[in-house]
Amino acid sequence: MPSALRVENVTAQFGAFKAVDSVSLSVSDGELRVLLGANGAGKTTLMDLISGRIPCAEGDVQVYGRTITNWQEHRIASAGVGRKFQIPSVFRNLSVRKNIEVARCHSQSVFKNLRFRLPAADRRRVDDVLELTGLQDSAEQLAAHLSHGETQWLELGMLVAQDPKVVLLDEPTAGMTQGETSKTAEIIKRLRGDHSIVVIEHDMGFVREIAEVITVMHLGKVIAEGPVEQIEKDPEVRAAYLGSTGIL
Amino acid sequence: MGLERKIQLGAYALFIVALFLVPEFSDEFWLNRASKYLVYGMLGVSIALTWGYAGVLSLGQGLFFGIGAYMLAMSLKLASPTSLAQGSDRPIPDFMLWNAEPDAPVELCCITPGSYLWLPFESVSFGMLMGVLLPAVVAGILGTIVFKKRISGVFISIITLALVLLVRLVVIDLQPLTNGFNGLTDLAFLTIAGFEFDPYSRSTYYLCAASLALVLIAARLLADTRASLILQAIRDDQQRARHLGFNVPMYQTFFFVVSAAIAGYAGMLFVVASEFASPTFMDLSFSVAMVVWAAVGGRSSLLGACIGAIAINWIEAEVSETAALVEAWKAIIGLIFVLVVLFLPRGLGGVAHDLAARLARRQSRKAAAAGTAGAEVKRHA
Ligand SMILES: Nc1ncnc2c1ncn2[C@@H]1O[C@H](COP(=O)(O)OP(=O)(O)OP(=O)(O)O)[C@@H](O)[C@H]1O
Ligand SMILES: [Mg+2]
Repeated sequence: MPSALRVENVTAQFGAFKAVDSVSLSVSDGELRVLLGANGAGKTTLMDLISGRIPCAEGDVQVYGRTITNWQEHRIASAGVGRKFQIPSVFRNLSVRKNIEVARCHSQSVFKNLRFRLPAADRRRVDDVLELTGLQDSAEQLAAHLSHGETQWLELGMLVAQDPKVVLLDEPTAGMTQGETSKTAEIIKRLRGDHSIVVIEHDMGFVREIAEVITVMHLGKVIAEGPVEQIEKDPEVRAAYLGSTGIL
Repeated sequence: MGLERKIQLGAYALFIVALFLVPEFSDEFWLNRASKYLVYGMLGVSIALTWGYAGVLSLGQGLFFGIGAYMLAMSLKLASPTSLAQGSDRPIPDFMLWNAEPDAPVELCCITPGSYLWLPFESVSFGMLMGVLLPAVVAGILGTIVFKKRISGVFISIITLALVLLVRLVVIDLQPLTNGFNGLTDLAFLTIAGFEFDPYSRSTYYLCAASLALVLIAARLLADTRASLILQAIRDDQQRARHLGFNVPMYQTFFFVVSAAIAGYAGMLFVVASEFASPTFMDLSFSVAMVVWAAVGGRSSLLGACIGAIAINWIEAEVSETAALVEAWKAIIGLIFVLVVLFLPRGLGGVAHDLAARLARRQSRKAAAAGTAGAEVKRHA
């Protein structure tokens, strides 16, 4: 079985500056990979490269053996790559339920969506997602009226509804309280197993709770990869974090 | 079906029934004016589709209206008795003879440069087809380019605005082909399957009313599809929509095309009711006026924008009967527009929508209260 996500020597070039410099990464089917790194390490940019938001100057991206390098975003998404943004991004002028319904519409073409409602099975799925994210009571509210934490959950819920094979999560617990964080962990655990996940996370407690393998980036490069205990002892990682946030 | 939805459908039904009752209360002269208001209502619907649902503010909707108008007017010009009485066995528009070189053959194929373009318009069906098809094709090409390039917001408004002014200039400039500034006048009545639509008769009014009803229902159905939901999502956040796997430019272009086709259809009806087509249809002020009607009526409400367009034009006509108010009216409508934008950004349609939603919520709360009361009683029993 090929890796769920395989990134080979990808580079993001902004002028002379390489925000991501020849990074390789391989995530196996069903794995949850944590991406760690100080501010500006290039983590978000790596997700931008994978999801097609910015072009790869070099390198190759594959999803289950299929090369998707530099495809248009919607084609990459249709190929099975879903993404949550660092700044939560939802459809603010639609109700919470409609946000999830949109995510559940599977065909990319306008003509295939000239139908009135989602099929019953998909509508049930939307209800499930509302329950999973605890948003059933705000289902008819506009997404603009949600709190920060709820917005993050809604975006996660949209990913659950979209049901992509590979899920990229950019700081899903940023700005959350302890209680909110543990609920987020619940949602992510629900995604686990059926999906292969890459998650950028700073909260080490959270990382220890969910991580199997951690990849550490620094200044656009991968400097370490391995299980939590090994990463915590790694001298190079410690050096990279020294003087910065010092989360390890 | 929720109460809110029932109110919405009820409003559509009421409006359409009212459309067909109008002739019972008015004379032919007034009906002709009313037909034109209905055409403006159709334009309101077309603006609401792009502006309200797609978030694309076209300031060049007059282009599609104008194309639709000219396509049908060309056919009706060829069908008019004067075109048949120019000394050739096939019809020729009179203005072409005035503009022709002295030694030019009196044939539609070659009397003026490009006059052969008129040939297929001898068939009125062709003119009618082109009246919807050409606006759609132009919108399709424009939309594909603009939306693929991810041009948005004010830039689309500027591009559409520039385009309508450009085409207006070309139409005025091609005098031998279009009769330039004078437009196409002295047209035949539209005749479909032997039935004649005299602009000062009930039949033309009914044609406009039925067309508006059809467009409203079709647009309403379209607005209830998943495609429309996705379009609204795109309006809110294109990037999010792309990463959910939607072909964003395809959605935007599709709705832009539908809106252009409606505007073209409206242009054709206007020609039937007014018996002329003119470059003034492509004046900037007309395209801007459409946006004002839709804003006042409610840009995200198809019916609201439609009623807004009809009401403003109706009031305007009433007001202009009083000489003192003619100039003041421009100031009044400007003021209304500013007030609406400031205080009712979703227009009158938005207010109606909120009222219906509040009513529905109160109703469901009442039902819930009755439900718990019922449960209480049961427990006591
Ligand atoms: N569009 C861009 N143009 C130029 N430089 C950019 C662009 N996007 C990102 N960068 C730079 O690339 C570097 C990596 O940014 P990135 O957002 O990937 O960091 P990160 O690891 O996600 O950091 P954080 O933890 O703060 O989110 C930063 O120095 C940033 O300034
Ligand atoms: Mg980041």
